[in-house]
Amino acid sequence: MRNPYIPIPVKVSRVRVESDDKTLKTFDVSFDSKEERFEFMPGQFCQLSIMGKGEAPFGIASSPTEREFLRFTVNRIGVVTTALHYLEEGDIIGLRGPLGNSYPIERFRGENVVIIGGGFAFTTLRALTVYLCANRDEFKDITIIYGARRPGLLLYRDELAEWEKRGDLNLYLTIDKPVAGWDKRVGFVPTVTKEIAPNPKGAWAVVCGPPVMIKFTLPVLLELGFPPERIYTSLERRMKCGIGKCGRCNIGSKYVCLDGPVFSYAELQRLPEYEG
Amino acid sequence: MSEEIFKLEKDNLEGFLLYLSQKYNLFLPRRVDDQLSFGQMKPGGKPSLDHYFNTDLPPKEVFFPQRETLLSYEGGEVKHSTYKAKPIALFGVRPCDTKGIILLDRVFAEGEYEDPYWKARRTNSLLLTLGCNAPLSTCFCHWFNLGPFNKEGTDIFLTDIGDAYLVEPCSKKGEECLRGTSLLGATGDDRKVAEEIRRKAESSLSERVEISSLKGRLLALWEEDLWEDISQKCLSCAACSYLCPTCHCFDIQEEGSQEKGERIRIWDSCMFKLFTQEAAGTNPRPTPKERLRQRIMHKFSYFLDNLGEFGCVGCGRCIRGCPVNLDIREVIKAVKSFIVESR
Repeated sequence: MRNPYIPIPVKVSRVRVESDDKTLKTFDVSFDSKEERFEFMPGQFCQLSIMGKGEAPFGIASSPTEREFLRFTVNRIGVVTTALHYLEEGDIIGLRGPLGNSYPIERFRGENVVIIGGGFAFTTLRALTVYLCANRDEFKDITIIYGARRPGLLLYRDELAEWEKRGDLNLYLTIDKPVAGWDKRVGFVPTVTKEIAPNPKGAWAVVCGPPVMIKFTLPVLLELGFPPERIYTSLERRMKCGIGKCGRCNIGSKYVCLDGPVFSYAELQRLPEYEG
Repeated sequence: MSEEIFKLEKDNLEGFLLYLSQKYNLFLPRRVDDQLSFGQMKPGGKPSLDHYFNTDLPPKEVFFPQRETLLSYEGGEVKHSTYKAKPIALFGVRPCDTKGIILLDRVFAEGEYEDPYWKARRTNSLLLTLGCNAPLSTCFCHWFNLGPFNKEGTDIFLTDIGDAYLVEPCSKKGEECLRGTSLLGATGDDRKVAEEIRRKAESSLSERVEISSLKGRLLALWEEDLWEDISQKCLSCAACSYLCPTCHCFDIQEEGSQEKGERIRIWDSCMFKLFTQEAAGTNPRPTPKERLRQRIMHKFSYFLDNLGEFGCVGCGRCIRGCPVNLDIREVIKAVKSFIVESR
């Protein structure tokens, strides 16, 4: 059995500044050895590390259908993320994973999927969207509601433009306040969700974003008629081991790293420590 | 297991320990400065078994060192290794601590991921558990259906009968180990003496508090003021966690530069504010209230949910070691007796 604490070396193949304030960067990494088997599903995460700096967890932003690279978007906020921001193409970093569970895509087949995201939490939602698009005929309507404070903080803007051109995605982009040149929606994600009012019948909702967005979006979905069992969200907690041993990321009896990060709202309601 | 019980004269203890140390990397209670803990005996050294109630520090450190190297790196090359020396034997572990090791086996070795560092030290290890003739006033192992002569999880069980130990193999490993010795069988009288010691020890225990309904109570009291009251004097010093035979939380840290260094793990505790402090500024457990509640919930609720057993063995170290006399037994009693006021 492989030692789960030892990272696999991966090469940074592409670095891109993601946001207009440069606090977000997107990294594509690839395995040195072609034989490296890395099977994962959207929603899972990895621990990225730089020797001497440490490790931090990041959701995988690429889909398993994109076989050439693994993608991560990193918000520069602490020691590790700052070190990651200094990376250049060709640098080697450590990767542990895939860790955690994934979105229950099997259950989505033949049904409608509503994806709701906010800010830089859109990473694993990108993975999910790309995966669904790659298997488009297996799912019915796909609705995406994605908001950020301002246009320059929306992730993956080139791709969003491409998605808009596709005829088979209902994409709604929104920003918090009006900005010159922005011709799409203005308003917070919960409000926009209420306006769009996705039909709950035969539908699943996946919500990812800052805690405050999740807090106000979940009641909207319940009001629209989505049962808690059909609403999924992905949680974040401070993590170290990523394999359920070091004891810090629990919410009630569940470890976010091991039992999550993806939970249904019904599961969360049963956990004592969850403050939704 | 074999019905056979042997007898080890204390005069022959040294020889027995020597025999063990030939096959095993032997750890036993020994005093360093003022503190009793499990360590390796120097050649010719003696275990500290006189007036021995229990070690100040739990034996978990033998299998889960306070500081451990996960990997080392230099110039892009990463190296790692796990324990490869002789199998480990622990002599003189108290039954509560043996149970603590068994619980940590479940944490570290069960489930989707196996911890290779714990596993490497535990593999083929031998536990020689020593019954407690004189439990302390802080002992409450009997709350958890353990007790001063509980044999669960041990390989060899010893009872101190004065000039000798009764030695009982409790596992295949234990049987095999004893087969290599020339210990004689215990007599019926020896067994009677041991039985009397056990009876006396068990009757000396404080009143047992019924805790089967504790988990439900804890969940029901999640929001109550009780936690504020209980945690008021907690200093968040984490002495309880460091002294606990089942606390297993750890941190992973870097030591060195980007060129050369080690990635290590060190014991950590949910009592520390930084334990759950996120880089973005949020902290789900900002005050002692949330942290103490987490520790109690983990031991008496989450452990049950995940492993079907309590995560406390009643060793009482946290009671003896707490600088502000926060007694976990009193917390349990408070939870049991708390009356929810209607709002």
